[in-house]
Amino acid sequence: MNALLLAEEGNHFWLPHDINEVIWGTIAFLIVFGLLYKKAWPAISAAMAARPERIAAELGAAEADRVDAESKRDGVKAALADSDAEAARIVAEARDAAARLESDTVTRAEAEAVALRERAAGELVAARRQAESDLAGELSRLALGAAEQVVHSNLDDATHQDLIEAYIRQVGATN
Amino acid sequence: MSESSITAYASAIASVARAEGIARVVEDELFRVARALGANDELRATLADASIPLERRTSIIEDLLGGKATTTTVSVVTLLVANGRVGQLAAIVDEFVSQSAGARGEAVAEVRSAVPLSDDQKARLAAALKAQTQLDVTIRNVIDPTVIGGIVTQIGDTLLDGSVRSRLTQLREAF
Repeated sequence: MNALLLAEEGNHFWLPHDINEVIWGTIAFLIVFGLLYKKAWPAISAAMAARPERIAAELGAAEADRVDAESKRDGVKAALADSDAEAARIVAEARDAAARLESDTVTRAEAEAVALRERAAGELVAARRQAESDLAGELSRLALGAAEQVVHSNLDDATHQDLIEAYIRQVGATN
Repeated sequence: MSESSITAYASAIASVARAEGIARVVEDELFRVARALGANDELRATLADASIPLERRTSIIEDLLGGKATTTTVSVVTLLVANGRVGQLAAIVDEFVSQSAGARGEAVAEVRSAVPLSDDQKARLAAALKAQTQLDVTIRNVIDPTVIGGIVTQIGDTLLDGSVRSRLTQLREAF
C-alpha cells in the first residue's frame, strides 16, 4: 500500500486521488476475489483437472476411430481385391464356357453333318430298293394281268368243265 | 345291327318257311337274292335309300322277283327292305340258311365258280364234301366271274380254294 501511495505521489496517474476509493475498491476487489475463489475456483479447478482426462479420452476415441477406420479401409481393400479376383474368375469361366460352347457346337455340327449324310445315303438306298421293288411289282402286275388275259381268253367251256371236274376229284381224293 | 338281331330275323324266316313247307326253296331263293344284291351296288344302294318312297322300292322288288320267287321270299325281302335291313340281308340269309341246314343235320357249302355247276357236278361235289365233313352237304352255287376258273368252296370255317384266281395270286406272290 505504501508503494502504491508512493507511486501516486510520483506520477499522479496510477492511483486515484481519493484514498477511500482505493480502499473501497480494494475491499470490493477482495470480496469479489474471495467469492470467486470460493464459488468459481472449485469448478474451474475441477474443469482444469478434468480437461487432461477428457483430452486423453478424446485422443483415445480418436485413436479407436482411426483404428476402426483403418480396419474398414483394410476391409474395403480386401473386398476390392476379392472383387477383382471374382471378376477375373468370372471372366475366365466365361471364356472357358465360350470355348466349350464353340467346341460343342463344332462337334455337334460335325456329328449332325455325318448323321445327315448317313441318313441321306440310307434314304437313297431305301428309295432305290423301293423303286426296284415298285418296278418288280409293276412288272409282276403287268405280267399277271397279261397272264390273266391269256387265261381268260383261253378258258373255254371245256376248260371250265375240266377245272371243275379236277376240283371235284381233288376234293374226293383228300378223304 | 347286333348278332342277336341277325339270329332273330333268321329264326323268324326259318319258322315261316318251315311252316309253309318250302324251307329249301326259300333258302335257295333268298341265297340267290342275297348274292345278287351283294354283286350289285346300285341295286343295294337303291333299296337301302330311305329317301326313296317304300312303295317305289317295293315295286322294284316285285319287278325283280315277281313270278320268279315264292311269295314268302318276296315278303321276306320286302320286310327287310322296309325295316332298313338291306345292309344286313346277306348276313341274315346266311344265318337262316345255316340254321335251316343245321336243323336238318346238314352243312351248307357256298360254291363259287365262273360257270354254273351242273346238277351232277353238285351231287358229286356234295358227296365228296360229305365224305370230309360226315354231314349231308347242301350246295349253294354262286356264279362269280372273279374266280376266273375252277371252284372256291366255303363250308363252315373251311375254305377250299381251287380257283384260277388263287393260282394267279400265288404266282403274283412268287414274284
